[in-house]
Amino acid sequence: MSRAARSLGAALLVATLPACITGSYERVRLQEPVRETDLAGLTPGQSALGECLQRLGAPWRVLEYDVDVDGNSGAALLWTWRDAAGWGLKAEYGDESVSGSVSYDAVAAEQPACMLWFDHHLVLQRWRLGTAGDLMPRRQRPAPFADDAGARP
Amino acid sequence: MLHRASLLLLLLAGCAFGRQDVNEPIEDAALRTFAPGKTTAAEVVGKLGAPTEVVQLGRRSAYRYDATRTKSTILFLGIVNFANQDARQDRVWLFFDDKDVLLHYGATLSTHRTQYALPWEDVHEPEDHAARDAARKESGR
Repeated sequence: MSRAARSLGAALLVATLPACITGSYERVRLQEPVRETDLAGLTPGQSALGECLQRLGAPWRVLEYDVDVDGNSGAALLWTWRDAAGWGLKAEYGDESVSGSVSYDAVAAEQPACMLWFDHHLVLQRWRLGTAGDLMPRRQRPAPFADDAGARP
Repeated sequence: MLHRASLLLLLLAGCAFGRQDVNEPIEDAALRTFAPGKTTAAEVVGKLGAPTEVVQLGRRSAYRYDATRTKSTILFLGIVNFANQDARQDRVWLFFDDKDVLLHYGATLSTHRTQYALPWEDVHEPEDHAARDAARKESGR
């Protein structure tokens, strides 16, 4: 080993002595996945909500969808699951004056999901596989309160 | 030197198991008494208690009931750890019309399928599920 390499090794050792570095390999398995074979049996325009629930089980979330002025609404159903593994690294440093930690987690990636949209008669319109982040509608501020006369406060 | 390193690794090694349950598992027997077109929201609440969530769907509504079981396993090997987290839910969504009569319901009952495992182990194989499903059926829950 060269003198430069030994010096670099010694410097790294001294620098990391007060710190704690841990690596971790982590696997996360969440919920039952939706299989494409189950989806293949569903027919947009024909399959009713009851049939879809029987094939796929209970969704993760149910959302209001396509609300009209008469108060009729469809529904959007989301299933999501995860089976992912990856390495993570955590470095912690602390003494009386300075402390801190840095971590990297490769497992917290995108989560697979499937969404089904139903019309006002609760008949399947369409379905899509993707990630939960892509399929979920963006969060919106609640509408302001309106009284019976429709006047806003 | 290698022997010393191995001994040190053994001294630093350890493992931990953790289990977390949220809500009581949902009873299949209770679900089988629900009849679309007949059962009302009040009857459902009478049997299952307060729902976790109620979603308004125009004039209709949907009730969610769920229970979650998470099993965690961690193997500590000094500066490298191996961890596994397995979570499954019992989950039921019930859809009611504008008169609060049940239209449809969908159920997924799988808290009993949760397993302790290490990251490289394969779990949730069909035969594994079949054995656990049969055990739950036998227990009547």
